[in-house]
Amino acid sequence: MSEVKEDQRQAAAASKGEARCPGAPSTQEIIAADKVAAPGWVRSESYRFLGDEDISKDRYIDAAYAQREIDTLWKKTWQFACREEHIPEVGDYHVYDLGPYSFIITRVAQDDIRAYYNACLHRGTKLRASGTEGNAEEFKCSFHGWTWNLDGSHKETLCSWDFPHVDFKKLTLPQAKVERLGGFVFINMDPQAPTLADYFGKEAKAHIDAWKLENRYVYLHVAKHLPCNWKLAIDAFLEAYHVIETHPQVAPSNGDANTQYDVYGEHVNRFISPLGVVSPHLYGKVSEQDVLNQFTLGDSSALGDTKFTLKDGGTARSVMAEMFRGMFEQATNTDLSKVSDSELLDCFSYTVFPNVFLFPGISLPMVYRFRPDPQDHRRCLYEVLFLRPVPKDGTRPMPAEPIHLEDHQSFKEAEGMDPGFGAILDQDTDNLILQQQGLEASAKSGLTLGNYQEIRVRHFENAVSKYVA
Amino acid sequence: MTESSSFQRVLPVADLPAGAKKPLSIDGRPLLLCNANGKLHAIANVCSHNEKPLERGRVGNGWIACPTHGARFDLVTGKAMCLPATQPIAVYDVRVVDDWIEVAVPV
Ligand code: FES
Ligand code: FES
Ligand SMILES: [Fe+2]
Repeated sequence: MSEVKEDQRQAAAASKGEARCPGAPSTQEIIAADKVAAPGWVRSESYRFLGDEDISKDRYIDAAYAQREIDTLWKKTWQFACREEHIPEVGDYHVYDLGPYSFIITRVAQDDIRAYYNACLHRGTKLRASGTEGNAEEFKCSFHGWTWNLDGSHKETLCSWDFPHVDFKKLTLPQAKVERLGGFVFINMDPQAPTLADYFGKEAKAHIDAWKLENRYVYLHVAKHLPCNWKLAIDAFLEAYHVIETHPQVAPSNGDANTQYDVYGEHVNRFISPLGVVSPHLYGKVSEQDVLNQFTLGDSSALGDTKFTLKDGGTARSVMAEMFRGMFEQATNTDLSKVSDSELLDCFSYTVFPNVFLFPGISLPMVYRFRPDPQDHRRCLYEVLFLRPVPKDGTRPMPAEPIHLEDHQSFKEAEGMDPGFGAILDQDTDNLILQQQGLEASAKSGLTLGNYQEIRVRHFENAVSKYVA
Repeated sequence: MTESSSFQRVLPVADLPAGAKKPLSIDGRPLLLCNANGKLHAIANVCSHNEKPLERGRVGNGWIACPTHGARFDLVTGKAMCLPATQPIAVYDVRVVDDWIEVAVPV
């Protein structure tokens, strides 16, 4: 006990942001002991102290702030609009909405994807309804039938004699910028926007390139509205600090307090949360066999009903890695022999500002996307997409249709969702309405953040402040 | 269904490979057969929005999108999934007998 107190005293004395969970191995030390070594992007650290002032709460509770975000932040940032597999053929389109904005993401040629502002240039009618997909040889407005070619040029206007004042040659559908990375189609409304590569920065881009997410497909897609501001929802997934209180069932097999946090430039941050190791909060309370038994997976449907046992001297983590490799290879028909233990086991959570999470690991192969509700700053739309490797034979299955859950439904009710993971998402999102209401009720003007474990929250909110200013 | 219907032979199964669509007409009724995601569907080949044909529409996971203004319909129920359509399209029961596709059309 006195040892722990001494550790804490030293931590407090250390310069800001340098303290780490006392008495626990670091994430890097855990990974260094693994059998199949992790690649460079896993074995690096990039923490920076970014200040310790409170985050003012008005950004979560003020409708005017939400409007400012619509006018500034959302118009200037790169956003994940769809996966390439949502529009595989020439003429295929996918309608992407953000707040009041709407775009028709269209494959104009085999290697040319464009994002048209989704509005007729006659009297403004949306050319395609929100939230839909299809294929077009031309875009014809449903009101008076003005028509545009797939490449955005004007094609036809009924009674063109009545519009001598319109230069139809110039009546091209306006576009947002489009870039592609890892099978994701990103758009940006700002003509002055930096390239996607500059937006990510060199190091973060190299990580994303290494994952080859273009070789995955959407195997399950679930969407649900959450009763809170979109940023509160994002903040809730940026740290493992909440695991022991919010997800006690996970802690026996999650290194929560010794999770690693990194920030890259202005738009990307990450954590590496080691799995298959016990939480420092539970040291001395659970055995290695308990760790093995309690391992919670995001995509455990691939594993079937197999139970694991620990052989003498082995660690839970090493046993899990070996078994996972074999079972995921079989279930997903892919070769994982060179994939490290860490990539198989650990939770890698990256955020791409403003609203996308990428989880490139094998056990939690997911993407999250959060969008504000255009009518209500206290609501947002959350989506989770599970990405599986494209089968070895190369046939790419059609992407899963989104399953829309009602507000009262549990994530466990989505067909195909692992029940253990659905329960985790329920726990995460059940806190959010209480947090939204609490912030509105609070006598305190801001949110207080830990220097290390909540650095991603600060990094994210700093970027919000920069764009909204 | 309140009206009665009876199955009619319409096409050899082999003529509708995976991913294919086939427009045809039964008793003057324009139909569209789709072989999508391992399932056969028979739907009206007429959009409920402006009565344009659906046959050039994209078929996705359980839906078809009208190529004219983009209304989307559920292949199983015929329900309109988005504007500009609000009304369903007709859908028909399909079965395979002796390697022939049979469709139940009202009589
Ligand atoms: S509003 Fe589109 S054609 Fe008139
Ligand atoms: S005719 Fe089909 S959407 Fe208009
Ligand atoms: Fe959580």
